[in-house]
Amino acid sequence: MTGAASGRQGRLAALLAAPALLLLGAVLAWPLLSAVLLSLQDVRIVGSQGAFVGSANYEKVLADPAFWRAARLSLGWVLANAVLQTALALAAALILHQGFPGVRVARTWIVLTWIVPTVVVVMIWRWLLSTSGGMINPLLVSTGLAERPVGFFATPEAAFMSLVFINSWRWFPFIALMILAGLTRIPADLHEAARVDGAGPWQRFARITWPLLAPTLAVLLVIGTLLSFNVFDIIWLLTGGGPAGSTRTLPVLIYETAFRGYRVSEAATIAVLSTLVLMAFAVLATRSLALSGADR
Amino acid sequence: MTAAWRLLLGAGIVFFVLLIGLPFWWVVTGSFKVPQEIIARTPTFIPRSFTLQHYDLLLSASAYGTYLLNSLLVAAASTLLTLLLAVPAAYAFFRIEFRGRATLYRLILLAYAFPSIVVLVPLFATFARLGLVDTRLALVLVNTAFALPFAIWMLRAFFAQIPPEIEEAARLDGGPPLVVLWRILLPLIAPGLGAVAIFAFVSAWTEYVFASVLILTDALRTLPVGFAGIIGQYQVNWGLLLAGATLAILPVVALFALIGRWFVTGLTEGAVK
Amino acid sequence: MTPRLSRLIAAAAMVLPAPVLAQEAVEVTLWHMEQPPHRVARIQELIDEFNAANPDVVVRQEPQNWGEIYAKAPAAIAAGAGPDMLFAIPDFTPILKDLGALTSVEDFVSELDARHDFVDSAVEAYSYDGGVWAVPLYNMTMHLWYRPSVLEEAGVAVPTTWEEWRAAAEALTADGQFGMGLPANRHLYTDQTVYSVMLNGGAAEIYEEDGSLRFDNPETVAAYEFYQSMMPFSPPDAPSWTWGEAEACFASRSCAMILQFTVISTYETQAEGDPADLGVAPIPVREAGQEPGTIAYANAVMLLSPEDSPEREASERFIAFLLEPENYGRFLNMEPGLFMPVTADGAEAESFWSDPVVQEYRSQIEQVIANSENGKLFGFTSGRVFPAIAAISAQNVLAETLQDVVVNGRPPAEAVARGQARMEELSQ
Repeated sequence: MTGAASGRQGRLAALLAAPALLLLGAVLAWPLLSAVLLSLQDVRIVGSQGAFVGSANYEKVLADPAFWRAARLSLGWVLANAVLQTALALAAALILHQGFPGVRVARTWIVLTWIVPTVVVVMIWRWLLSTSGGMINPLLVSTGLAERPVGFFATPEAAFMSLVFINSWRWFPFIALMILAGLTRIPADLHEAARVDGAGPWQRFARITWPLLAPTLAVLLVIGTLLSFNVFDIIWLLTGGGPAGSTRTLPVLIYETAFRGYRVSEAATIAVLSTLVLMAFAVLATRSLALSGADR
Repeated sequence: MTAAWRLLLGAGIVFFVLLIGLPFWWVVTGSFKVPQEIIARTPTFIPRSFTLQHYDLLLSASAYGTYLLNSLLVAAASTLLTLLLAVPAAYAFFRIEFRGRATLYRLILLAYAFPSIVVLVPLFATFARLGLVDTRLALVLVNTAFALPFAIWMLRAFFAQIPPEIEEAARLDGGPPLVVLWRILLPLIAPGLGAVAIFAFVSAWTEYVFASVLILTDALRTLPVGFAGIIGQYQVNWGLLLAGATLAILPVVALFALIGRWFVTGLTEGAVK
Repeated sequence: MTPRLSRLIAAAAMVLPAPVLAQEAVEVTLWHMEQPPHRVARIQELIDEFNAANPDVVVRQEPQNWGEIYAKAPAAIAAGAGPDMLFAIPDFTPILKDLGALTSVEDFVSELDARHDFVDSAVEAYSYDGGVWAVPLYNMTMHLWYRPSVLEEAGVAVPTTWEEWRAAAEALTADGQFGMGLPANRHLYTDQTVYSVMLNGGAAEIYEEDGSLRFDNPETVAAYEFYQSMMPFSPPDAPSWTWGEAEACFASRSCAMILQFTVISTYETQAEGDPADLGVAPIPVREAGQEPGTIAYANAVMLLSPEDSPEREASERFIAFLLEPENYGRFLNMEPGLFMPVTADGAEAESFWSDPVVQEYRSQIEQVIANSENGKLFGFTSGRVFPAIAAISAQNVLAETLQDVVVNGRPPAEAVARGQARMEELSQ
């Protein structure tokens, strides 16, 4: 390609991509930059002024056990969600990949949980899991699975697991469809050949499906990690980060610090720190995964 | 298929039907029960009573129609804008070689790499300066920004699946790139466009945090925010809550009944790699 | 009566003839957090009447949510998109005052006081730093709610001391029923119930007279110990409760007793709704013979538009309209049994007592008013008002301390000491 052609292409590309980039810059990048500036000041209440304090906020946050606890919880949250979501999604996708009566309907409507507003998801589960009026507890007690009603948000462990379940319940169908997309691209004759060779379903899965599906899963894992790290509304609306801070992940801590503690600069500092960690993760992951086969 | 496998498959299907269907069954049927039956200590699986009182109260006491309209407007506009911006950008990133392409592309995906809560405060200030606080346009811009990276990423994968020969042939026929894009390529990636549109629509439809802070007046609230308000903070009126949940689910279910198939075909035909 | 006020009243009470000159009406916005539909409807009724009687003013309401208002109000005010009137609880006001969004309404309040005679404690909660920062509108107080038939069946009398309370809760916990629903969430509701127990255990004061904290004292520890000993008789999801769950628990008969401002409208619409079988009593005290007390929230309205602006004048006119006895009762009855009058003439207002639900539950509401005689609010007691309580309250330190005991299993004495340390840190 000649230099002139390349220059023309560059201009065209700029023209085509500019609107999208401008919007991303204005709505995401610029506020993010303001957050960095905020983290170097001492602003207490949203909208007030603060003095420049250099790295004081960073020193304070890094020395604060609450920050490290939230970081650990966030890590646990991301891992637990990744495991549960992927397991459910993989199982659902494998089922949807089979032929059975109604599979078309099932493929369309599996996303029901994903198209419902988060607030509604929260309300539904708050009701279902409640001990006064809910449906799950009477079911557990009457079938003898539990002796007395279970407090699904009562202990740190229970609250954490309930939230992971609810969040995964909402997201797994979406991921299942993405996996299904990966499955449909595995040529059917590979399976046929294996079947002729006498391989059972499990062997076919282990030898054909899994290796061919692994790259798809890896990409989904990266996106899933970023998305579930950022989950805020489900946690905030259901437990507010409790009980006793046991579900206070980093986004919850940021919101609480900014809007309940009225320490906006500290919140910005936590935000900048978590962004750095996530970006490092995302850069490493996309470098190894997303771009590897994209330029074919 | 062996009997054991068929059994396992059947069990799996039942499991997922219950996991997804049961909560919705309880919610929808519950919304027609009288309050005393909803809060009874032994719940009923099939309703014994039937009442529309919760819907009556909900519709008479709240601006449900307004919320619904706002949600539809915001979601539709966000979808349109997402497509308008994502298609050319994805094409540029896929087809045209320019310096810094890889870096820029990676940068866009980083949009998901920070807590969205972070931008809430600065964004409010920026929007306030532009007079965009308390407007639906603000929500459209935010929703589009959050849907764009995924949309670009997905569309790029669709472009990648078009055999290069088709585009080459079209170009040799003398069409400038944009005409080729519009006439030849877009129809080929229609399933992808459908999938992206639905993704953008659903993201906007379900968004809560930004809508709750950026909108100040009741007449501009979207369904999730208006809905959260009706349910209230002081009393739990389960019947009202269940009716509200049902009405919040209904429109998007109707929409999905019409075009849901596209989403699945779109995803399964292209998308992730 | 001062000339200014009589002018306001005259304007508010009379239907004025349409102004001769076409005049641009002043628009004022009211933000409040009374979001349930029936409350919004009642407020709208009053607004419509006011607007009809005052053609030069248009009042609009925008219901907001307590969960978001802490983020939204400062952001909106900073962006110049805030309301002209904003409802407040005592510990919300200092935040806006620190933002510089408020000017003192002392003169206006004393004019209203001269006419309606405010309950002193309601004004005190907003008086500090040389000003009065909001106009009191109504009081909320907490009580023990029960069903007489349920207590009778279990052979339990209405408890008046902690000892009796615990025994009753234990006796009533049987057959899928929980004796006493008490929250343990890190939430305002838990702050309120914890403080209600504290103040009936002699730990009402959080501050010394000089403003130093005295949260860490034996009475507070005793209150937390008692609260902890009541938790086995509360449903297992109590650590995630807000007001609504407690009411639902009571309405569904899963809870025999709860601590709540009111359950009347839930009881009336969702449970059996039999006034004869709804009991309300003062919160039990630590030792027999003590006078029972309760937490009292004086809710108020803040005025945000600049002094001497037309919006400010219009807002004042609207508030004066609300406090007029013939309107005030209807305003309070947007949630029967929840909002108690803060003015002497409001407590006797015909408009208050004539509401059908109030008539039906008259004995309960009279009991609620009687219980409210001795109402206090943490951080605003005995004239010891220190605005730093806003930070303590916004972070729900009372509830946080309870969770430390109930969820983390920390001994109450230790948890209370940590709670005080936390308060000191937040007050900086």
